[in-house]
Amino acid sequence: MGTIPTAEDLDALQELFKPHIESFDHFIESGLETMLLHIKPLQVLDPISKKILRIWLEHPELFYPMRENVSKSRREKILPSECREAGLSYRGRFCADVCFQWDHKGAVIRERFNFGHIPIMLKSKLCHLRGASPHKLISLKEEATEMGGYFICSGMERLFRLLIMPKRNYPMALVRDAFRNRGEGYSNQAVVIRCVREDQSAVTLRLYYLLNGSARLGFTIKGREILLPIGIVLKALVDTTDKEIYDSLTSCYSEMHEKGRGAIGSQLVGERAKIILDEVRELSLLDRSQCLQHIGEYFRPIMNELDMESHFAVGKALLRDYIFVHLVDDHDKFNLLIFMLWKLFAMVDRTAVPDNADALQNQEVLQPGLVITIYLKEKLQEWLHKSRELLMNEMKNKGEQFDFCNLTHIKKVMDKCYPAIIGKAIESMIKNGRLNTSSSLDLQQRESMTIPAERLNFLRFLSHFRSVHRGSFFTGMRTTTVRKLLPESWGFLCPVHTPDGTPCGLLNHLTSTCRISSFFDSRGNTKDFSKIHKSIKDVLVGMGMEPLPPRVGQAGPPDVLYVLLDGRVIGFIASSEIEKFVAHIRRLKIAASSVIPDDLEVGYVPLTLGGAYPGLFLFTSPSRFVRPVRNISLPPKETGGVELIGPFEQAYMEIRCLDGGGGGRSYFPATHEEIHPTGILSVVASLTPWSDHNQSPRNMYQCQMAKQTMGFSSQALQFRTDNKLYHLQTPQSPIVRTAAYSKYCMDEFPTGTNAIVAVLAYTGYDMEDAMILNKSSVERGLFHGHIYQVETFDLVEQRKFDQAFKLFGRSNIDKSKNDWIDSDGLPYVGQMINPGEPFISVHNTITNTTKPTTLKGSEPAIVDYVSIDGTTSKDFMQKVNVRFRRRRNPVIGDKFSSRHGQKGVCSQLWPDIDMPFSAGTGMRPDLIINPHAFPSRMTIGMLLESIAAKGGSLHGKFMDATPFATSIKDADGRSTTDSDSLVDELGPMLTSYGFNYHGLEVMYSGVLGTELACEIFIGPVYYQRLRHMVSDKFQVRSTGTVDPVTRQPIKGRKAGGGIRFGEMERDSVLAHGAAYLLHDRLHTCSDYHIADVCSLCGSILATSFIQHQKRATRHIGGLPPGRAPKKVICHACKTSKGMETVAMPFIFRQLAVELAAMNVKMTLQLSDQA
Amino acid sequence: MEGISYQRFPKVKIREMKDDYLKFELRETDASMANALRRVMLAEVPTLAIDLVEIEVNSTVLNDEFIAHRLGLIPLTSDRAMSMRFSRDCDACDGDGQCEFCSVEFTLNVRCTSDHTLDVTSTDLRSSDPTICCPVDVAARATAALDPNSAYDPSEQRGIIIVKLRRGQELRLRAIARKGIGKDHAKWSPAATVTFMYEPEIHINEDLMETLTLEEKRSWVESSPTKVFEIDPNTQQVVVVDPEAYTYDDEVIKKAEAMGKPGLVDINAKEDSFIFTVESTGAIKASQLVINAIEILRQKLDAVRLSLDTEECDEQFGELGAHLRGSAV
Repeated sequence: MGTIPTAEDLDALQELFKPHIESFDHFIESGLETMLLHIKPLQVLDPISKKILRIWLEHPELFYPMRENVSKSRREKILPSECREAGLSYRGRFCADVCFQWDHKGAVIRERFNFGHIPIMLKSKLCHLRGASPHKLISLKEEATEMGGYFICSGMERLFRLLIMPKRNYPMALVRDAFRNRGEGYSNQAVVIRCVREDQSAVTLRLYYLLNGSARLGFTIKGREILLPIGIVLKALVDTTDKEIYDSLTSCYSEMHEKGRGAIGSQLVGERAKIILDEVRELSLLDRSQCLQHIGEYFRPIMNELDMESHFAVGKALLRDYIFVHLVDDHDKFNLLIFMLWKLFAMVDRTAVPDNADALQNQEVLQPGLVITIYLKEKLQEWLHKSRELLMNEMKNKGEQFDFCNLTHIKKVMDKCYPAIIGKAIESMIKNGRLNTSSSLDLQQRESMTIPAERLNFLRFLSHFRSVHRGSFFTGMRTTTVRKLLPESWGFLCPVHTPDGTPCGLLNHLTSTCRISSFFDSRGNTKDFSKIHKSIKDVLVGMGMEPLPPRVGQAGPPDVLYVLLDGRVIGFIASSEIEKFVAHIRRLKIAASSVIPDDLEVGYVPLTLGGAYPGLFLFTSPSRFVRPVRNISLPPKETGGVELIGPFEQAYMEIRCLDGGGGGRSYFPATHEEIHPTGILSVVASLTPWSDHNQSPRNMYQCQMAKQTMGFSSQALQFRTDNKLYHLQTPQSPIVRTAAYSKYCMDEFPTGTNAIVAVLAYTGYDMEDAMILNKSSVERGLFHGHIYQVETFDLVEQRKFDQAFKLFGRSNIDKSKNDWIDSDGLPYVGQMINPGEPFISVHNTITNTTKPTTLKGSEPAIVDYVSIDGTTSKDFMQKVNVRFRRRRNPVIGDKFSSRHGQKGVCSQLWPDIDMPFSAGTGMRPDLIINPHAFPSRMTIGMLLESIAAKGGSLHGKFMDATPFATSIKDADGRSTTDSDSLVDELGPMLTSYGFNYHGLEVMYSGVLGTELACEIFIGPVYYQRLRHMVSDKFQVRSTGTVDPVTRQPIKGRKAGGGIRFGEMERDSVLAHGAAYLLHDRLHTCSDYHIADVCSLCGSILATSFIQHQKRATRHIGGLPPGRAPKKVICHACKTSKGMETVAMPFIFRQLAVELAAMNVKMTLQLSDQA
Repeated sequence: MEGISYQRFPKVKIREMKDDYLKFELRETDASMANALRRVMLAEVPTLAIDLVEIEVNSTVLNDEFIAHRLGLIPLTSDRAMSMRFSRDCDACDGDGQCEFCSVEFTLNVRCTSDHTLDVTSTDLRSSDPTICCPVDVAARATAALDPNSAYDPSEQRGIIIVKLRRGQELRLRAIARKGIGKDHAKWSPAATVTFMYEPEIHINEDLMETLTLEEKRSWVESSPTKVFEIDPNTQQVVVVDPEAYTYDDEVIKKAEAMGKPGLVDINAKEDSFIFTVESTGAIKASQLVINAIEILRQKLDAVRLSLDTEECDEQFGELGAHLRGSAV
């Protein structure tokens, strides 16, 4: 303690942020380049010279963030802390070569274009903080534990939300009623595959089953779904014959295995194959070229850019760009399509069950780098198209004058499209989280792709990076199926850490051990996927896999199982041999020396009777969930036998827990073993001590509350300009802590205090989850805290409104403000400012006036820090951040909570002398809670924490409270700990110091000095102060501002408004017959109004006052002036005769006015009868 | 009722006395008196504590309020506190600290010029009159310096830390200590802990005890978390070694019942004798604390007595008033 952690200490913490950083690193390193290669070159045809110009992009370059707006010769790097304070974006310049080539021959001319600035993720490879040691980070005005993973846009820290996506390149069999809406004859069944290109852009293909036995292939182009008959696609992909297609399709069925284990085909397959082939024949498409012609003809209007090509070429382009985009070879595509048809037919014939799209088994995660890549690609394509259009226009308008072969001319036109706007688009996407695209990018949502990284406390900050959202699409769904906790998530998503309420089950958190597979191998080198694919195939073939001859369809399950490697059918293996294959691949996977990557997913779906569609599905792709488990089927070698497994393979593996049982399935011996039971918990959940002794919802509440705790939010507080920052003055390290606490260096950001908690009903002020705080403890500093708030004054920004040049400065004439404002117009640091007092003043050079700004709100603030931003203007001080500090010491109504979901509100600050005191030690508790908090909530962990902390503080050591630690048993069922109950370990610690075994103490009443009737459970419990404080919430009003239109009291705490006395409140008062009260609340205290009504015409609008002429009579000195009689006249009746005054709500007059505006006259009839 | 006196004459016997620790017996009185004494010691014996801080320069990592709060919690020697005035009652000044009757001024002026972290401690607080008031650890050092035989080792004592400075940081302030009581703010409380217990009377039923085997005796003796009983190694009889170690936790009684021997031991709390433990913060000596507490309790009772003849008395005290009148005669 008291020292800066070393980089090694922080490794475990840094690991948690890797999914974000690695993904952005890949974007920088190779993602950009691959993406540019996948952008289709543009072709511009000059109508006059008939020359064709090809334009494409190459050699992208992204630079380190540098200071902008300074002379170009001097390059200075800009640091993240500067960006935060100055409200800038931490971004680097993005350049690329635009290549020009005329007529497909001749020299390629490269021209460097500047595409603006792209925000750089902190601690990515292009960040100045990368690789900095904690000491170095501190000198760069960062936290010693700065982890990066987020962006800084206009001073705001934002990060990408990890989103759940369907697993890439895996055909998923689905049943959805929505599929019926595709058209007449469609069934509710389909096989869906999300194909992802090398550059990470995706196209989802759906293979629908038609009720007549045929199938349609559906995909989306520009928001429209295209449905192709399957036969045409099959024929267009490869040169084949009907016979071959028929054989391929029917090979999955053989009469031998009818209804046997693992048989997936049925006789109907043959019928269906015939129907499919008949469909094509009816269109009289016989061979491949005809099919391509046919496709090309239909899709020419949609596939623009290809207007110069033949139908055939358009057809080929369609197949290339939309059908199985993860594959290049047409034969592979054909094979996969056949495979998908088998799977579809198996589902239809009930020989295989459909997959669950909501299960984590069929899901992966969407990472930041990927979103940026595809968004950038989209934007660059848009820019190219716009340039092309502009070029065409220019040629049309200028005709001969425009020299098509002159590069400078072309460049001039292209510059008109503002290439720098591309950087801006990326930045605004990160800033708003909104994808501004015409196409869907194959994502389910366009909004809220990014979220602000709040630093309320470190746990909240950290949870942002570990949270995985199911997608905002599901938030509005009525059904709860997507929110269900499924067994497939075991070990990957935390079952405890999900909010309750609207996002419940949709917003999950990765477990502390869960990682995301990336483009980098364990040594940090970029993976070469083609090499990996080749070596895996070589290994399999070497072992005896039948590599696919160009076509599938010689045999099918249950004789053989097909092997799919990242969505490519690479061969088949005899089903009797397959277990050997799997074991061997796993062995190679663990071995460090092999080329097989350690995060390869070996999804072996065995043959079953009507289970999931069998096969061997291998995945090497990035963005998959992986987690470490111990492989116990192999002798442990140097790696400790730790294998990374994915959710897909996990469902078919035998993994035993460490509880000594064999996983409950003795006939399937376990091949793997969990490393530690806490591996299923997220970081926040694993910090709850003895959470295995609590009722599970309490642990969920604690996860919520831990994230809204006032803690030590930042060590670099001095350099932060967050809008609002909560800070606990004297936090403590918990006495009772879990293993995760030290692993993740949580001592850097503690969030609470070890308070002495007595559990008793005392004074009645601890009823219903209220708690009593000891006044003296609070006076000694218990739970003292602050709120830091920053106000920014940007004169450059203000200037945009009134064009006046302004400076900070105080008035030389009016010295009344000098107590608060220094000669530079800024406040004195350390000065306390009361509401309504000025703290900053601005001098307007045009009007030569000085305007001070006063403090808003109802409580005093202290000027903590004033920082001046020198980046906006060189010569004048134009931008200033003033940080205020507001005291937040505990008061009645503040919220506190233990780490076991036991929250409570402080009901009294009770005098120390009136608190009960312990007979032995004379100690008075800091805090009293009611015993009724326990029976129904069953938070035994809290009781254990109290006993353990008492023992720990007596012995002077921290207590380990890692959950499930006592459940760990070795294979013989022996526990690793000696005693069978935790209390038996903790009790003796207390008795050795003369305390009661169970943590009870005899106590005396502080008021009477008599012994309390029973012994009191008392001990230290780590308490958190929650950010909900009365000072920020109380609302009170007697009189105040009214709405100018209705004259009713306004709403809103900030504006000094009231709380609505609503309809239901009215009902209850009415029910009590409290008519006078009702009248008082709803009329007298609201918009009470005395109106003059003309009883002759019944109007309240036609009346008006008559201004009396000043009477000539002189006032007699000393006497009050005579009150002029008020005279009201009706304009309609031209008399004041029938004038009456009537009390009414003002809103009634408003109604009359509004009706009058619609030409409706409202007439009142006055009478004296009650 | 008239004329009957309930006056009692409590006795105090001091058992152990150190500067900051006192253990004494209080006999022949009741719980209300004992508890009143405890409450007064905790909350109403006046001390001095820093109450007003004027910060001139503060470039430390801690903010002004934090430092002011920390300064307030430093215990100051307050032997003169009883005779000083509350600054709100002081006629000689406006309570701004310029007056010797109600306040003591402190200054602190530290600047770090070395590369090592500099600890600002209570020793850096300069008192305007160290004889009246200074931080307790400074006072302890001063007295130790006078007494060559004391066990006080100044090298071990680093003072009460206020804040740590790194190079270039500075703290300059003026602080005023005032008289106050713990009821107003915990910083004025002179007592760290005050507790009392009823003196227990322990009777072992020897006949029943003899029916136990040695093993049973041992387990019975060990059932008490505190060392109250012991087995005499010679006679192998259970004897009470330290009745006051008993915390009224009923463990031995429960154990006896569990062993099927209820009534093995009979423990009663004496209603009229108390054993007090007083620990002082150092602001005043523990013995002085008790004396001051008694003095204040007397003053409070005097205040009640003085209001006897007034008319409110009857409303205020009712029957108690009559009782007081009776004893006052």
